[in-house]
Amino acid sequence: MFESLNDPVDVLTAFVDGAMRPIRFRWQGRVVRVAKVTGQWNRREGQAVLRYFAIQGPKEESYELCYDARGAKWVLSRAWTGPA
Amino acid sequence: MILLVDMDAFFASVEQMLHPHLRGKAVIVCGDPDRRGVVTAASYEARPFGVRAGMPLAEARRLCPNAEYVEGDPSKYVEKSLELLELFLTVTPDVEPFSVDEAFLSLVGLAGRGDTLESASVIARDIQRRIAEQHGLGASIGIGPNKLIAKMASGLQKPKGITALDEEGFRRTYWPLEVQELWGVGPKMSQRLNQLGIRTIGDLGNAPEPLLQRTFGMIGPQLRQAAWGRDQTPLVPYHEGVDPKSMGHEVTLPEDCRDAEFLEGTLLRLADQVARRLRSEEFAARTITLKLRDFRFHTITRQKALPVAVDDHLRIFDTARALWKANWKGEPIRLLGLSASALEKRGESGQIELFVSDERSKALQQALDKVRDKLGEASVVPAGALTHRRESGHVPFGLMKRKDPTPLSKERDTKDTKRRLRGDPDDPA
Repeated sequence: MFESLNDPVDVLTAFVDGAMRPIRFRWQGRVVRVAKVTGQWNRREGQAVLRYFAIQGPKEESYELCYDARGAKWVLSRAWTGPA
Repeated sequence: MILLVDMDAFFASVEQMLHPHLRGKAVIVCGDPDRRGVVTAASYEARPFGVRAGMPLAEARRLCPNAEYVEGDPSKYVEKSLELLELFLTVTPDVEPFSVDEAFLSLVGLAGRGDTLESASVIARDIQRRIAEQHGLGASIGIGPNKLIAKMASGLQKPKGITALDEEGFRRTYWPLEVQELWGVGPKMSQRLNQLGIRTIGDLGNAPEPLLQRTFGMIGPQLRQAAWGRDQTPLVPYHEGVDPKSMGHEVTLPEDCRDAEFLEGTLLRLADQVARRLRSEEFAARTITLKLRDFRFHTITRQKALPVAVDDHLRIFDTARALWKANWKGEPIRLLGLSASALEKRGESGQIELFVSDERSKALQQALDKVRDKLGEASVVPAGALTHRRESGHVPFGLMKRKDPTPLSKERDTKDTKRRLRGDPDDPA
């Protein structure tokens, strides 16, 4: 099932041609490589724009990362934790 | 010709597109899966189990226990919807977004291209292909000489169907069907038509116009025309827009509730959401409508017209609370809804300004709006609404319903919007 987490995470990020892209992140003591960004979207919170990324890890596991520019912080908002 | 592009199982398909492990599986998009609510959208894999949008989540779990239950996020669907709008605008400038997952496209201005069912079908196939290639999503497309036929044709072959009908084809297809199948005819109107002996769309087409006029007023002749596949409703390109006719919110409670304090707190929160939206779009409302659904799914709506238009949550709440106290008999409540209608643009009516005579209240309201504009909706809330928040702590979907201006469209919009977007514990009303 998809679990809502909102866990703060460290994310190695690339900025290319004005676009940002998560490369890998550290969660629960391990480093997850971002194999593919499958989509991105924004959500407004007042004046702040939260930038979301749907990503796949190397074993095709799914995650959603969220970047909040207000504090240059990343959170892992959701993760696929296997069948319910 | 007019096209209606209807995205197939849109919310569920977007989740499957973003998360490959969901592909090929029964996916049910809902509010918080751990709370009570209703199904917002079901993937095609879930539908053979009988799961439908609007169904209580508990029932969906009984029917399809192994489905993936995914909490919906409107922001991702809205963003995808805007990307699709960009695609449609490369085909024609005359695009009317009808809902988050449907859009009308007029091919009238394309210099002869798309003026027959055949040529429009070629364009429709190209749109379908581009949606699949560029967005990984499926769409069904209806084609017809007007919005009514395009809309109804879009539902004939799903998913990924293309259906083109002229007026004659429309009558051949729809006249044998029950009158409730006609776009714009809801359960109540269907019941009234049945009482007149009108059971099929064909019966409606052959019904005496004076009888329909007497029974339904100005909508009567429109209904008869619709049965013939005729519709004059103009396509309103998105850049022209139309003013909303009402704004509302409703909430399915975490459990059936007869706690007056909790219900009042919930009403206050709904009033706050409605007022905030009114102010942000510079409207004020003269009519407030309360919706109550009890534990037996019995629903009533009661409304009150106000002498002047209002846009502050306390006046909306006072009106709603009076309606609630007059109509609630103490039975457990499942759903509460609040909407504002008879909208006026702020400044059009001097009475709005006169009504808000308390300058300090007005200044406070403006200051609070500024805080929320900057920090988000949850940054400041009425204290009384915390009764509700304490129980749920749930971030609402926050979508608002807009109604089309014509009476028949109004009926259609209610039917469609509820069908498509009803789903979260905080439904758009």
